[in-house]
Amino acid sequence: MNQPKVLVIIPAYNEEGSIANVIRRIQAVAADTGLHIDTVVVNDGSKDATVRVARAAGATAVIDLPFNLGIGGAMQTGYLYAHKNQYDIALQIDADGQHNPHDIPTVIEPILRGESHFVVGSRYVEKTAYRSSAMRRIGMIFFSSLIRLVTKHTVKDPTSGFRAADRRVIRMFAEYYPVDYPEVEVLVHIARRGLTFQEVSVEMSERQAGTSSITPIKSAYYMIKVGLAVLISATR
Amino acid sequence: MTIFDTPIIYALSILFSLAFVWFVLSQVRKRKLREQYSLMWLLLGLVIVVVSVRSHWLDSLAYLLGIYYAPSLLFLIALLFVFAYLLHLTMVISKLSDRVVRLTQELAIYQQREHAAQPHEKETALHE
Repeated sequence: MNQPKVLVIIPAYNEEGSIANVIRRIQAVAADTGLHIDTVVVNDGSKDATVRVARAAGATAVIDLPFNLGIGGAMQTGYLYAHKNQYDIALQIDADGQHNPHDIPTVIEPILRGESHFVVGSRYVEKTAYRSSAMRRIGMIFFSSLIRLVTKHTVKDPTSGFRAADRRVIRMFAEYYPVDYPEVEVLVHIARRGLTFQEVSVEMSERQAGTSSITPIKSAYYMIKVGLAVLISATR
Repeated sequence: MTIFDTPIIYALSILFSLAFVWFVLSQVRKRKLREQYSLMWLLLGLVIVVVSVRSHWLDSLAYLLGIYYAPSLLFLIALLFVFAYLLHLTMVISKLSDRVVRLTQELAIYQQREHAAQPHEKETALHE
């Protein structure tokens, strides 16, 4: 691959406070490394000025969904866009600023070397500055065990939203992507398609603005729904 | 003994089921209900008519199945019918939701392309 086309997908729901900074930091990484990196913001029916702020910050494309599709539907829109525009690598980054764009070269490296079809930027592969809550650690252990049970792979940070996909995975995601809480489920789908994934260590910080969408009640539903989806997909 | 041994309930249930079948057919005529979904309801209307006119059939069937109280067979059949139909409807809704999501995504990507082609033209956005 000479000069691969990389697309960073940033799904955003009411992220006017942090989105501009995320886009500018990605552009800075592109300038520093000489990589061809485009950015697409998928606005998932925000009620604030996310679209206007993202356009002003110079996102390559802003896709404005007419109403809220949820994270899975919004993320899939980005992969569909990547597939239609023939990108070699699609990266997903959270709009809240918790992922550091400086790690983009690290995350896409295994794909460029042809080692893996899919890469997860993980908080836990090596010791990083990130501190997580007890609830999050319980969920992490639950999901890691679930993935190990179904795929025989050990994933330390299965819910990380900092990920990179090659062309085959982009096409697969454009066809099917889970509606809600997709992170864990897609790892199982990838493994069952005979594609490979790996984790690399990245830095993560607390979100810069806005609020997290995960509440304690939703966490319970999250684990049950994903558990069911993973076990069913294991029988396909 | 039949469950409809009073003439009033006998007449009422026939009247009700005929009205029900007529209503379903009229909705199909107005294209407010698709033929494929009307079939189940017409079948239900037919079952009610039969049970009303030949209520001893229900008693015989209950006796055959070893059900002591015949009306409970009616409840069981009704309940199973409702469950089956609700399951069918949630499957239809799932399919429709998938299609709405895909249409929304395709539309938004198409709009983005239009916007990229003429960026200075102000859109008449409804939701901004």
